[in-house]
Amino acid sequence: MINDQDILATLEMLKVEHLDVRTVTLGISLFDCASDDPDRFMARIREKILGLAAPLVQVCAEVGEKYGIPVVNKRIAVSPLAVAGAPFSAPGFVRIAEALDRTAREVGVDFIGGFSALVEKGFSRGDRALIESLPEALSRTERLCASVNVASTRAGINMDAVYLMGRTIKAAAAASAGADGIACAKLCVFANIPQDIPFMAGAYLGVGEPDAVINIGVSGPGVVKRAIDRARAVEPSLDLGRLSELIKRTAFKVTRAGELIGREVAERLGVPFGVVDLSLAPTPDVGDSVGEIFQSLGLQAIGVPGSTALLALLNDAVKKGGAFASSYVGGLSGAFIPVSEDSNIAEAARSGLLSLEKLEAMTSVCSVGLDMVAVPGDVSAETLAAIIADEMAIGVVNKKTTAARLIPVPGKRAGEKAFFGGLLGEATIMPVNGANGDPTFIRLGGRIPAPTQSLVN
Amino acid sequence: MEKAIISVLGTDRPGIMAAISRTLSDNGCNIEDVSQTILQTEFAGVVIVSLPEAAALDGIEAALDRALRPMGLSTFARPLDKSVPPAPPAASQPFIVTTMGADRIGLIAGISEVMAAFGANIVNLKAIFRGGEDPRRNTMIYEVDVPVYTDPAAFRKALHARAEELGLALSLQHRNIFDALHRI
Repeated sequence: MINDQDILATLEMLKVEHLDVRTVTLGISLFDCASDDPDRFMARIREKILGLAAPLVQVCAEVGEKYGIPVVNKRIAVSPLAVAGAPFSAPGFVRIAEALDRTAREVGVDFIGGFSALVEKGFSRGDRALIESLPEALSRTERLCASVNVASTRAGINMDAVYLMGRTIKAAAAASAGADGIACAKLCVFANIPQDIPFMAGAYLGVGEPDAVINIGVSGPGVVKRAIDRARAVEPSLDLGRLSELIKRTAFKVTRAGELIGREVAERLGVPFGVVDLSLAPTPDVGDSVGEIFQSLGLQAIGVPGSTALLALLNDAVKKGGAFASSYVGGLSGAFIPVSEDSNIAEAARSGLLSLEKLEAMTSVCSVGLDMVAVPGDVSAETLAAIIADEMAIGVVNKKTTAARLIPVPGKRAGEKAFFGGLLGEATIMPVNGANGDPTFIRLGGRIPAPTQSLVN
Repeated sequence: MEKAIISVLGTDRPGIMAAISRTLSDNGCNIEDVSQTILQTEFAGVVIVSLPEAAALDGIEAALDRALRPMGLSTFARPLDKSVPPAPPAASQPFIVTTMGADRIGLIAGISEVMAAFGANIVNLKAIFRGGEDPRRNTMIYEVDVPVYTDPAAFRKALHARAEELGLALSLQHRNIFDALHRI
C-alpha cells in the first residue's frame, strides 16, 4: 500500500498548488522538407507536421487523464526556419509563417516555435530574410513564435544583429499597434540559446537533435511556495540551508511527474523522449506565481534588496532537485521571471519596487532574462538594442542563457497598462532609465569579441 | 500440506501477536503470511498457517481461544479451501481512487459498487471517517486493479457521476504517478 500521506500530498500538489505539466513540445526537423520552391516547401512541411503531430493533443489528454495531471499546453518546435528555408526572401518567409500558423491550428497546438535564426557570429542570406520578415510574420499570425540568437560565449555578441533586433522589435510593435505590440511577445532575443527548450517563445529544434523528439516543460511555482509556507508554519526557525533543501525535494517531485508523463507521451507517439525542462514558470493565476515565493521567504516583494540572492538560491535548488530526478534535464531549467505573465511580479513592477535595472541584475542568476517586459512605445530602436546588448553580455560572460523579450507598447507611456490576454497576461509599462540618449555606441556595430574563459573574475 | 486461515479480533493492547504466534508454534503450526491492522482502538489480525496434520485445526482453535479470550480477543479459524482454485488474475493496471467529502452512510457501498460493475478489483482500501464537513477528515483511498479491457473514460465517468451523487470529490490516477513522486 502506498503511504496515504503521500497520496494526499500529491493530490494537494495537483488540486491546490497548480502542479501541472506546463508544456509538451514535439520537436520536428524540417531539413528533409527543404526545397527552393516555396509551395513545395510548405506542402512538405505541412505533410510532415500533420504526420507526426496529428495525435499529439489527443495523446496528451489521455496521458494527462491517466495520471490525473493536466498537460496544459501542447506545442511544436521546428528546425530553425532561417536554415531550413534559407533560399527564400522575406515575403517568402511571411508566407511560410502563415502556413505554419495554419498547420498549428489544424493540429490544435497553441504555439509553434522555430521561426528562428542563429546569427551570433554573422548572418547568412536566409537569416537576414527571416529577420526582415518578422514584423509582418508575427503580426499576421497568432500561434507562431520566433527567436533569434545573437550572442554566445564562444562567439561573442553580434552587435549588428543586436541593433537589427532593436529595429525589428520596433517594427513588430508598430505592426501590431492595435494589440499593444503583441507581436513582440512572440519574439525572443537570445544569448547561448539551448537546442531543446520546450517553453515558448524560444523553442526550436536544434540542429543536433533527432528527427522528432518530445521535450517536456514542467512547472510548479505554486507547489514550491506552498511547501515553503507549510514548513515555515510548522518550524519558523528554518534557515535558508534547510529551505533550499526543501525546494530541492519539491523540484525533484515535480520533475519526476514530468518525466513520467513525457516518456509515456513519447512512447505513444513513437518518437524518442528528449528532456525535462524544470523551470518555475508562472501563470497569471494567483497561487501560481514565482513572485509569491519571494514573499514566502520574507521579502516585501520581488525587486527589493535581497531579491538577487534569493533568486540565486531558488534557481540553484530547483536545478539540483531536477538533476537528481532525471538524467535528461535540459532546456533552461531554473526560474522564469516574466513580468506580465506573473501577476505578483507585474504588481511589483507597477508599485515601483521592481525596476528594469533590478530585473536585469536578477537575470544574472536565473534561467532567462528580461522576459515579457513592457516599455514605453517611444523608446528608440537604439535604446532597445542597448538593453538587449546588456542582457546578452550577462549571458555571454557568465556562460549561461539569457534572453530579452521586450515590448515597446505603441502609444503608451510608463505607468500605463498593456494587455496581452491569456497566458501572456497584462503588465504595467516600466520606465527605462536614460532612454533615447546618444545612439552612438549601438551604431558602432561589429562584434564584441568572445570573453576569455580562463581569467575568471 | 493442509493450510488454515485464522483471524483474531479485539481491543488492541501489547502482547497480542506474541500470544498468537507462541500458541501457533507450540501447536506445530508454521506461519506463512500475517497481516494486522489497527482501526481506532481495535486490533484485527489474519494469519495463514500450514498445519502439522489435517485434523489438528479444532485443537489449535481451542488453544488459541484459551490463550486469547482472557485478553478480550475472539478467534475464528477455518481450513483454506483448495477445491476452488483462485481465478487467474486478468491483465490489469493499478489505479488509486481517492475521495473526500462530508461523511454520510453508504459512501463505500456507493463507490465500490461502481468498481465492481467494471470488474475492478479492490486490493487495498483505507477509509477514515471522522465526521463533519471538513473533507480531509473523511477520506477513502482505494487501490484498484482495473482490467485492461475496461474503457478508462467510461470508468472515470461512472466514478465521477457516483461521487457527485454522494457529494464527494474524487480523483482517479494511475498508481505510477505516486511511485514516481515518492519512491526513489
